[in-house]
Amino acid sequence: MSHRRYQRSLYLLLAPFLLGVTLLVVLPAGLSLGLAFTRYDGLTAPTWIGLANFRALAADSLFRTASLNSLLFVLLTVPLRTLLTLGLALLLARPRRGIGLYRAAVYLPTVVPGVAYALVWLWIFNPLYGPLNLLLGGADLPTPAWLVNPQTALPALALAALFQLGEGFVVLLAGLQEIPDTYYEEAALDGAGRLAVLWHIVLPLLAPWLLLIVIRDLIVSVQSSFTPALLMTGGGPYYATLFLPLLIYQTAFERLRFGEGAAMTLLVFFGVGLLILLTHRLFGGWGYDEAV
Amino acid sequence: MRLSSAKRKAFKRNAQSGSLLRCRQIYRAVGFHLLALSVALSFVVPGLWVLAASLRRPGTPPPRTIEWLPDPIAWSNYTLVFELVPLGRYLLNSLLVTAIAIPLTVVVASWAAFAMAQLPARARYALLALAVALRMVPLPALWLTRFLVLSELRLIDTFAALLAPAWMGSSPFFVLIYYWSFRRIPPALIEAARLEGLGPLAIWARIALPLAKPATVAVCVLTFVQYWSDFISPLLYLKSESRYTLAVGLRMLQQLDTTNWPLLMAGVVIMVLPVVLLFVLVQRAFWVGERIAGVQGN
Repeated sequence: MSHRRYQRSLYLLLAPFLLGVTLLVVLPAGLSLGLAFTRYDGLTAPTWIGLANFRALAADSLFRTASLNSLLFVLLTVPLRTLLTLGLALLLARPRRGIGLYRAAVYLPTVVPGVAYALVWLWIFNPLYGPLNLLLGGADLPTPAWLVNPQTALPALALAALFQLGEGFVVLLAGLQEIPDTYYEEAALDGAGRLAVLWHIVLPLLAPWLLLIVIRDLIVSVQSSFTPALLMTGGGPYYATLFLPLLIYQTAFERLRFGEGAAMTLLVFFGVGLLILLTHRLFGGWGYDEAV
Repeated sequence: MRLSSAKRKAFKRNAQSGSLLRCRQIYRAVGFHLLALSVALSFVVPGLWVLAASLRRPGTPPPRTIEWLPDPIAWSNYTLVFELVPLGRYLLNSLLVTAIAIPLTVVVASWAAFAMAQLPARARYALLALAVALRMVPLPALWLTRFLVLSELRLIDTFAALLAPAWMGSSPFFVLIYYWSFRRIPPALIEAARLEGLGPLAIWARIALPLAKPATVAVCVLTFVQYWSDFISPLLYLKSESRYTLAVGLRMLQQLDTTNWPLLMAGVVIMVLPVVLLFVLVQRAFWVGERIAGVQGN
């Protein structure tokens, strides 16, 4: 087979993937961009209304609440989950007896389907006979009403989200294995303590991986708030857990205001992009590109 | 004389510090296992509570303390949920969707990855960048317009709508997993096959795919989990109840009786058990696959 023909058949193998990406990502993204400037109910043809959707959203108090809630949720879950993931990866990095079991246990909640996960936490948070409050009550600790109280509902959802950290955990374990043992040995010869080794050697070498999981976590946190909000709180109480994906779902699929939904979608897109840029800045642009 | 006594003292001190070191090692090991065990338990114990709750007889007053084994044990909850909601049908639907999604995903993802691994550097980097960029798209940004595209293709309310992501390898991550393992195949091996006149498809089938078995296991498991768990696609793209999957069925069970925890937890166990069993069974391959995904990143 000639070189030319070989190359051409390679592109044929690539074709289904590229077609799928075009139909399922590129085209929908383009459509969102267009529809955001129209009024469209899915039945009659969309009509161009310029920036009216965005102006309406700017004045919409529900949209503001949902944006703030989503931001709060991300700011609560991403740093906490990253720290927890880092701690667990450092604890379980070195091969020892039983390490496989410990790692599997940490990964386990991550494979639990979202609907089942939400229902389990709905039960755990039940103020009267949920296991969490039984445990707290047994230890004479305060037993908050969790999802029923507007003050604690959002932090409770954030707490539930903390335990699904398997993906980042695996990435950090891989990153830790990349660090050559000689680095630790030399540091020990220089008389560096464990904290010094962590601060001056491990964390800088882990930085690209950390950035990778933080960015991944930002995106996942925005979208993964949908199922728990829909099943556990319905966005309540008093809109305390109304997140942007839930509002988009209600606007577009329940009230059939596709144009407004598309405008929100576009803003979510830019909002996430902005958060990624900020994170990248925060990390000082440490070799993320090299990690991928 | 003084010298030798000093020597003896030094020797004694050394011996002492040696046993002290061993003591410290043991303490450390015990400390590590205590810590690791308590962490592991905090991740797993809620699962045991769910299991216990699913076996409690419905209608009995809720327990006042944490319950590890209800008395009496009501196995009948597991048959009752199938009567309340057509869970059997939804289970079959879920199995059907995953059974089609897995081979489709493996073929599409590994084809794309094989082409990526073989193409010249510039095309390769462009495609890698595309895969990473795809991974960065927040999905809610696509729900609505993907619905419009699917309805234009007349796929709304069909299983094909649930299976649509398989046409892009289900997740760009799966393409990357295959890409990383194909790049590790010695180029000489593929060069030799090309000299014998084999085309890309034959090389993919006879050399690349068999050598990427750990990647295939990882992709199969992750694909199963993705489609088995998928709640949003059926919620958005299905209308007929006869096509619902287990994820939607579980929500129906919740809407039917919000406070019947034993039955709800039985439904949860039915949905979670296959995933957990699969995860435990192929755990080792899973780690290898994920490790390939991670380590080969550089």
